[in-house]
Amino acid sequence: MIDELFTISTLIGILHSCVRLATPYLFASLGETFGQRSGVLNLGVDGIMLMGAFFAFYAVFEGHNLWVGVLVAIAVGILMGLLKAFVSVTMQSLQGISGIGLYLFGLGLSSLLFKTLIGSVEGVSGFRQLAIPLLSDIPGLGHILFNHNALVYLAYIMVPVSWFVINRTTLGLKIRAVGHNPEAADTLGVSVNGVRYTTLMIGGALAAVAGASLSIGLQNVFQENMTNGLGFIAVALVYFGSWRTVGVLGGSLLFSLVNALQLWVQALDIPVPSEVAVMMPYIMTIVVLAFTARQIQKPAALARSYERGE
Amino acid sequence: MGTGQRRFEDRIVYGIASPTGGHRAVNFRLNAPYVQMYGIVKRFPGVLACDHVDFDVRRGELHALLGENGAGKSTLMRILYGLYQPEEGRILRDGAEVTIHSPTDAIRQGIGMIHQHFMLVDTLTVTENVALGLKSSREPLLDLGRVEAGIRELSEAYGLQIDPRAPVWTLSVGERQRVEIMKALYRGAAMLILDEPTAVLTPQEVDELFVTLGYMKENGYSLVLISHKLQEVLAISDRITVLREGRLVGTVPTEEMTRHELARMMVGRDVMLERTRDDEIDVGDVKLRLKDVRAHDVTGQPALRGVSLSVQSSEILGVAGISGNGQRELAEVIAGLRPLSGGSVEMDGMPITDWTTARRTESGLAYIPEERMHDGIVRDFAVSENLVLQEHTSEKFSNGIFLAFDYIARYSRQMIQDFYIKTPDIRTMTRNLSGGNIQRLILARELSRQPKVLVAAQPTRGIDIGAIEYIYQQLLEQRDKGMATLLISEDLDELLALCDRIAVIFEGQIMDILDRDETTAEGLGLLMAGVHPEKQ
Amino acid sequence: MLRRIRVFTLIFLLLLAGCGRGDDNGDGEAIDAEGQPFRIAIVMPSSTTDIAWSQSMFDSLVAVQTEMGGEDALKIAYSEGMFRVTDASAAIRDYASEGFDLVIAHGAQYGNSVFEVAADFTETSFAWGTSSDTGADRGIENVFAYGAVANEGGYVNGVVAAMLSQNDVIGVIGPVAGDAKLYIDGFVRGVTEVKPDAQVNISYTGSFSDTTLAAEAAHVHIQAGADVLTGSAQQVVGAIGVANENGVAWLGTQSDQISLGPDVVVTNQIYNWANVVADMISKIEKGELGGTAYRLTFANDGLRLEFNENIEIADEVKEAARTAIEDIKSGAVDPVLLEEDE
Repeated sequence: MIDELFTISTLIGILHSCVRLATPYLFASLGETFGQRSGVLNLGVDGIMLMGAFFAFYAVFEGHNLWVGVLVAIAVGILMGLLKAFVSVTMQSLQGISGIGLYLFGLGLSSLLFKTLIGSVEGVSGFRQLAIPLLSDIPGLGHILFNHNALVYLAYIMVPVSWFVINRTTLGLKIRAVGHNPEAADTLGVSVNGVRYTTLMIGGALAAVAGASLSIGLQNVFQENMTNGLGFIAVALVYFGSWRTVGVLGGSLLFSLVNALQLWVQALDIPVPSEVAVMMPYIMTIVVLAFTARQIQKPAALARSYERGE
Repeated sequence: MGTGQRRFEDRIVYGIASPTGGHRAVNFRLNAPYVQMYGIVKRFPGVLACDHVDFDVRRGELHALLGENGAGKSTLMRILYGLYQPEEGRILRDGAEVTIHSPTDAIRQGIGMIHQHFMLVDTLTVTENVALGLKSSREPLLDLGRVEAGIRELSEAYGLQIDPRAPVWTLSVGERQRVEIMKALYRGAAMLILDEPTAVLTPQEVDELFVTLGYMKENGYSLVLISHKLQEVLAISDRITVLREGRLVGTVPTEEMTRHELARMMVGRDVMLERTRDDEIDVGDVKLRLKDVRAHDVTGQPALRGVSLSVQSSEILGVAGISGNGQRELAEVIAGLRPLSGGSVEMDGMPITDWTTARRTESGLAYIPEERMHDGIVRDFAVSENLVLQEHTSEKFSNGIFLAFDYIARYSRQMIQDFYIKTPDIRTMTRNLSGGNIQRLILARELSRQPKVLVAAQPTRGIDIGAIEYIYQQLLEQRDKGMATLLISEDLDELLALCDRIAVIFEGQIMDILDRDETTAEGLGLLMAGVHPEKQ
Repeated sequence: MLRRIRVFTLIFLLLLAGCGRGDDNGDGEAIDAEGQPFRIAIVMPSSTTDIAWSQSMFDSLVAVQTEMGGEDALKIAYSEGMFRVTDASAAIRDYASEGFDLVIAHGAQYGNSVFEVAADFTETSFAWGTSSDTGADRGIENVFAYGAVANEGGYVNGVVAAMLSQNDVIGVIGPVAGDAKLYIDGFVRGVTEVKPDAQVNISYTGSFSDTTLAAEAAHVHIQAGADVLTGSAQQVVGAIGVANENGVAWLGTQSDQISLGPDVVVTNQIYNWANVVADMISKIEKGELGGTAYRLTFANDGLRLEFNENIEIADEVKEAARTAIEDIKSGAVDPVLLEEDE
């Protein structure tokens, strides 16, 4: 039965699953990377995802275009980012606690809105699989990479885009500086709070799209607490990826790969206890974290609020 | 095309043409005031930091701002740089009144500031640090190539040797300072405020800095040098303004001043810093001996690589060196705070390598740590508690397991009196004391035990001149009573004034140990930079 | 200091917004001694709209309430999303001390909490499930237990699945191994009864609520050739979405799931707790506060199998399902998988 795992079609299936599963993690952890590179730890990602998931779903449920759903999610995500920024940057509350507060707020409000506005679990018609002409015909690789829905592609496009913004733009330079030495950035006329507001809004928007990718992309349904803590894994993936976009991509793919693998192992009835299979991704995470503890890129001012003249 | 870039271009037109002075800036009149400040008042809770202070800087002038800690000189310049807002007063630039709300405003007025603690982002390259906060020519994209070219041009013009592509964390302290100057120059500053720029440099680096400042002056830059070092102020400034306790004492042309007069302006009374050492006293037995001592720093890198030295009774042995060459580890090894990876330490002829800190203390070792706020005291303890911290279990201060509060109170009052510790009360929280008074407290605690050996690490760093004078006096007094002292310092004037012999440490090794009489600051400087003249 | 107070206030507000606790009897309506309504409180691990375990009980409670004559006769208070047992435990104790007539702890994980609180509030009646343990052997008399014989519907769904499948590959998505064992065992037994050679692929997500992984599990099953899927717990919403998108048949359990996949959900095994709840109420009113362990079966009408009316289902499939139900009721078929149970 082990042999079955290594047939070409199974391997393609596993990789296809992996690429798709990584989508919400990528959006959310790329967003979190922006915040953390500027020195703000946002543990509220999961709450923002739930809000994004709900509003995208609600827009589509009410008969709007799918992309309108995504835009609504982005708008809500930006608002949630602003809320986080107000509490953590302007009011300077402890970032960890205020993040948890934001999570609970998102969890509670999305549930409440769902109960009031929709009431029962309903399905919608979400983003359809969109095979890219020609590319999807490549044997094996075509199915793995180019046979997904539009939000999956968007997630992967966001990786180089995020890298570019962080490393090749003036905003990115400010983000890196503010995350490492806010005093220095301040003396050069960089608005520390302005940069942090910006990154939290970017992060909020991306987290909300991560939520939308669940509710109108991968599952086409909204349920209370449907993210099931996925946003917290996304935060961990940022550490895992040493605050680099490529690292975050690697972490998301690795985590998703192990998840895909365990589903396939079980589905093919390979004799591994399901308890062990289910634990695989988490064991993997711990192992990799243990071996990548170097933390060279860690923003020195992470989770520290900034006040002039401290 | 951003404004920052445009200003840079303008400046090139008049600035860079010839750094050697053949061609000066064309659009300014030398000696015309660039910035004038009138009647500046700034209050902090409980303190009047600036009390109606007037100050001005001319074009092509190096103006020194002199004063003890807390005299208000940094505050005054921070106001000019937009970091603080004054409660009263006017600021003029080129004769026109301006308001400066932020560093950005200051930069717009052509004012740059080099802070004592460098404001650099370690993880970024030199070029990125310079480009930070500037509008790019390709907004929103970075244009680092263009910035890099500008840096190369400027570094050639003013003798500022820097590799634009090096990440800042790889640079030495001197290089970092050049990056700071570069940042200001690139932004088109016409005036630079330098806050204690020489405190962190080797004598050679100080020379290089002064050469650069000279070029800048000739090109019409206005320079303000904040300092408390009389020697250097006298050496390079054109005018000197002295502040004391937030008030202007006076502004004087440098050539009319002597060291003595300046010290009196600063402190408000006569000061004796050059103590005459009592050479009658002979040194005695070896009290402290280190043999081939090896140790690692906090990151596990070797920090001490075979240090051997000895200190005799009635002797002060100085340890000179640039910060980070193993001084901290050396002090900690002797105090018993850091394990040895090789070699041995002896006190009074007994091997103490394996002794605990407490046992060393009981046997006559005293220690004044470098980080006095962290290692020397408990910030949130009362003054009296800190005074008995080390001996709180001894019979003097305790009855069984209880502290003898009455005696501790009496003892504390005595100490406060003897060592001139300025504190409202013995129950005052120690963190509310000034740096000089905290150091007096530590000195009182350590010296009152009549130790045989004292290890003092940077005992006068960041302390005002009055307290320094007192500390010197105490160290010499104890020496005369037979104490063996190991004085670790980065201040060469201090070492030359106090020590009988001076050891130079470089990269965890003792380069040489010299008698004071055969030593000059220049010779020490070379050794501190790792150059051994005789071995070359 | 002021800033700190402001921040704490803000966090407090955020926390308040985050704690969802529905309460149907919020108004301070006076309760007089005689005509007072019966009061039930329920603590649930997931949401009242999870279209699975929690919703099945909540819908049943509402049905009983309607039957009894609305809020004047029966008041329902609930705490949902109590996936942390410590939170649930506190809620159970709260409700008991607020004087509810019946406190339902709707989860097998709440057992210890129920018995602990029940020992302190002997005048209050408690119920919990899935379980058959009323605590009688420990001398506790005020606890009811309940459970569904889910393998009965599992068996019927298995028969239906086997008949619908053309590839003879069927996928099952379980939550945590062990929990849905009864349903899945019955399901496998039903499939093998009709098609002994059909392949049943079972995968667990390790969570009741991981809709993302359940959705991916559905993808995996479909890619592995499955053309009929089933699964349990609230996580299945994600999987039904995927079944819907791929036009693969879905067989539901616990609650009515047709709304999620109007075109693909073929049957639903529905848990109907109404009779159980009604019986508990009448026992409590007679002064009997516990001691009974209820089981939902086809025979006692606690289990129902419903076909989706909106899609065409071959008559022989419906017929086979009906026969299977009758066989179970009559005892002709015992839908268990394990030999040693017999």
